[in-house]
Amino acid sequence: MKIERDPVDDEIPTSSMADIAFLLIIYFMVTTTFAATRGLDFALPEEDDNPPVVEKEDSVLIEIQPSGELVVDQKPMQLSEIIPYLEPKLVNNPKKPVIIRPDPISPYKYMVSVLDELRQATDKSTQITEDIRISVPTQREIEALWF
Amino acid sequence: MKLASRELESTIPTASMADIAFLLIIFFMLTMTFEVDKTKVQLPQTNLRYEIPKKAAYVAIDVQGQIKVSNGEELSASVGNADDVLSFAATVIATDPNKEFVIKADGNVDYAEVDAVMDALKRAKVKLIYLLSDAATQG
Repeated sequence: MKIERDPVDDEIPTSSMADIAFLLIIYFMVTTTFAATRGLDFALPEEDDNPPVVEKEDSVLIEIQPSGELVVDQKPMQLSEIIPYLEPKLVNNPKKPVIIRPDPISPYKYMVSVLDELRQATDKSTQITEDIRISVPTQREIEALWF
Repeated sequence: MKLASRELESTIPTASMADIAFLLIIFFMLTMTFEVDKTKVQLPQTNLRYEIPKKAAYVAIDVQGQIKVSNGEELSASVGNADDVLSFAATVIATDPNKEFVIKADGNVDYAEVDAVMDALKRAKVKLIYLLSDAATQG
């Protein structure tokens, strides 16, 4: 008696290859943590041996207390009150410098929120048309120039 | 005369599906930007947030004041204090004078720590820094 053989299948099964590949795509997509890639830009002034002398009286000084309270030109103020306070001064003199001076033991986030608020001045006020000249002197600069 | 009706082919060709999928994998792998710094920080929140250029150098400050630096290509490494940041930044600026620096600092860290780093970057003649932030929840 002759045994009937099945014809030998000589192809590599590739139909599941796509499933494997898509599974890999999905695995990598799920495990990828997205890096935070946005933030507030801040141009550092060029280090100058003879920096332009800014009279303290000409500028607006925003001090940040350790508790996060703000003192603008010796007057306590809320964050939202800063722009209305600055508005008439900046209309008078758009180049008026605004100095942010956080207390060394104040949390960093308060300085960032003040910077954020000042940078939005042109959006929040119709009268302020130029970007505010913000400067955040470092402790070393304050010691070198002011005292 | 009776026409012999042809048998219709009823399979969808799936042989190239794997090629397409692998092409997608390779595309995603090439376009993925690697996170150079894995420090866990509670970022401060801002309304204004601008895209940070790729390959920017990182200075990370965690809530304990630990500083880590990365030139934007290698994983960040711990450094001792702000003076080390100055020498690191000076090296980076020497190769690329327009390199942007990103300060990734915890919102609750004392400002003095950030101040020391900013001072170091200023002295290293860095032109532009970015303060990494999260989107503000309100408004």
